[in-house]
Amino acid sequence: FYCSRKDHLWGNVQVFYQDLPLSIQEGYERFLSPETVTLHQYQVFGHLKRLGYVVNRFDPSTVPSLYERQLNLPLSRDRQNKQLKRKRSHSPGSRYPHFKHKDPTSSTAHTHEQDEPMDSGSHVDRAPERNWWTAASSQSRSMTGLPAALPWDFRLISFPDLGSSRAARTCLAAPDPELLPGALQVGECKMASWLTKLNLKEEKLSRRERERQRERDRYKRSVNDDREVRRCTNWAEYLELMKKRRRQRCKERPAHLWEKDVTPLSQPGLCTSHRELLEEVSIIQSSHLLEEASKLPQLDQWRIIFNVYQPDSVADFKKSHPGNPYTRMCVCSFDGPVPDLRVMKQLSFQSADIPVTFAVVDHGDISFYCFKEFKLPSDFY
Amino acid sequence: MDCERPAEDHGTRQNGGAGEGGEAAGAESEGDRERSREPRVNISLVGGTPLLWRAGDIRRVREEDGVVGALVGSLARQPRQNVRLGRPLEILQEEASLLLQRGRAAVQHTHNQEDEESHVKAVEAYQSRLEHSYEEQCVLALEDKKAVLQRVMNAKQNDHTCDEGTEQAMRERLSSLQKGFTLPRSAMAVQLCTARAGFGHCPEEAAFLAADWPMPRDERSETRFRVYRDLRGRGFYLTAAGKFGGDYLVYPGDPLRFHAHFIALCLSMDEQLPLCDVLAVARLGSNVKKTVLLCSPRDSGVEGEVVYSSLQWSGMV
Repeated sequence: FYCSRKDHLWGNVQVFYQDLPLSIQEGYERFLSPETVTLHQYQVFGHLKRLGYVVNRFDPSTVPSLYERQLNLPLSRDRQNKQLKRKRSHSPGSRYPHFKHKDPTSSTAHTHEQDEPMDSGSHVDRAPERNWWTAASSQSRSMTGLPAALPWDFRLISFPDLGSSRAARTCLAAPDPELLPGALQVGECKMASWLTKLNLKEEKLSRRERERQRERDRYKRSVNDDREVRRCTNWAEYLELMKKRRRQRCKERPAHLWEKDVTPLSQPGLCTSHRELLEEVSIIQSSHLLEEASKLPQLDQWRIIFNVYQPDSVADFKKSHPGNPYTRMCVCSFDGPVPDLRVMKQLSFQSADIPVTFAVVDHGDISFYCFKEFKLPSDFY
Repeated sequence: MDCERPAEDHGTRQNGGAGEGGEAAGAESEGDRERSREPRVNISLVGGTPLLWRAGDIRRVREEDGVVGALVGSLARQPRQNVRLGRPLEILQEEASLLLQRGRAAVQHTHNQEDEESHVKAVEAYQSRLEHSYEEQCVLALEDKKAVLQRVMNAKQNDHTCDEGTEQAMRERLSSLQKGFTLPRSAMAVQLCTARAGFGHCPEEAAFLAADWPMPRDERSETRFRVYRDLRGRGFYLTAAGKFGGDYLVYPGDPLRFHAHFIALCLSMDEQLPLCDVLAVARLGSNVKKTVLLCSPRDSGVEGEVVYSSLQWSGMV
């Protein structure tokens, strides 16, 4: 569509609509709209094409993910076909390359049913029929909205309790034969014999340690004695509880203020290099642009429009194998908002390794801006 | 750094038009009524941006209304450069609405409201034009080929190297050309229109089809429009000033003849401008050697005047 527009303008192509040739004005009016390409975007497109760049539309699905880039997977235009052609591997739910390498010994991390408080019956835990990976992958298939959902469902993975007194009765279930290579058969594993090899001897404390233990029992209270603390199921909830208690204690004082003694962050002579010293006194941690960028939701107003490749003489561009673009273009105007950090994070993440350039259009004048990430120097060499 | 008020009035009047610079915008004078009978300029809207397509329109608005705008299309003869661009002309929202207000322009309706019959007629008209053009081109091509052959014959005659036989052959070729020459259809030159042909010529139809002006009526665009109207009324030429961090670049005459004197920033009377912004824009102005104008319309009705303050960087004397 783009090429035809430019050629139309350059007199190479005549476009007919309902048997009448379209003038360029009609082409503008019919083809340019907020749903397809806006006038500003077309102006940037024209500007770059006239200078000789090769400009294509940006398709987010063709950008390789971080993992694929790390593996240096060969890029091909149609990833769908590529996945179909790949040989069917034996491991189940393996839509992703990193599932191929499955160590059979690690398959002992099977789901067990949650440790319900058992009576004194001595029956043995049995592994459930459902395996965590098939459950997870079917779950991820049903969640069509998520891009590349990881099929690890951590709620279903629980590690067997081998240290408590009930451990002698536990029995690890046999691994799924699909995960095992060839005709290897592995039965259930009875833990009793293994546990005898663990050191279950009583700890012998020295006298000082015994005294310390006595003091601890007498004067200090364990955090777990608190009923509310026991109700917390994870670390985040515990922190919330602490915050709430602190707030109740001193209502006027904001939660983020320091409550302990004020001491210097560093002492003279403690650090040997500039960098160490800066690290000791730093309060704000420096981060990089793509930190936590993958967790940000999709954007509405800002999106990358074009891939720009350098003119043919500089880079070899082929339609079947375009290679990496020189930059990606996002079009905005002086009337609109300035891109903030969140927008920049999201666009840089979308664009993978290629820098993003902002083309600002103002009544026919186009200015190009790009943001460069810069790390403050922390030491001198 | 002082603030001087008000800005000097340069008071140059542009040529052409019936003394437009001196008119108050709303009052209808003789000149206005006369001009409204003339065919109006067509403004085409693409996504809210007003564009002018016809060369005649572009020229008229520049000469008579002081609308400069910016060309944003490819130049047909030299498409692969960005120095000189061609039609369409993109004009400011304020320019378009002032033209509409004064009755100098009408917005062209984009959707074809033609019925089946008129469409068929249009197609027939197009086909007949194409045929006519083809016949003309046939004639011209034949003349061209004959001229070439004649030239060759003359050259050979002057050489005196050919004998009677070759001359005869030449003449035979000429006559056969006369009889049997056809220009292949694929070699025909076809005109690619830039502007849309059709309804633009009849002002009544244009008025009938004119769409409503979709200009957003928020405070900022209102302020800008009033400043634009006032400065235009004083005879200045205005263009967009995004590159200079302002709203308008103010020229004392046509931009082809002068450099801009002012960078105009439009603010409402009660808008608070942080001092950092004032410093930034003053520095910018002194760097590019233009005076910065802070323009604010007095909010006494639609016809209120505009107050101007200029910033001048000066030391302590």
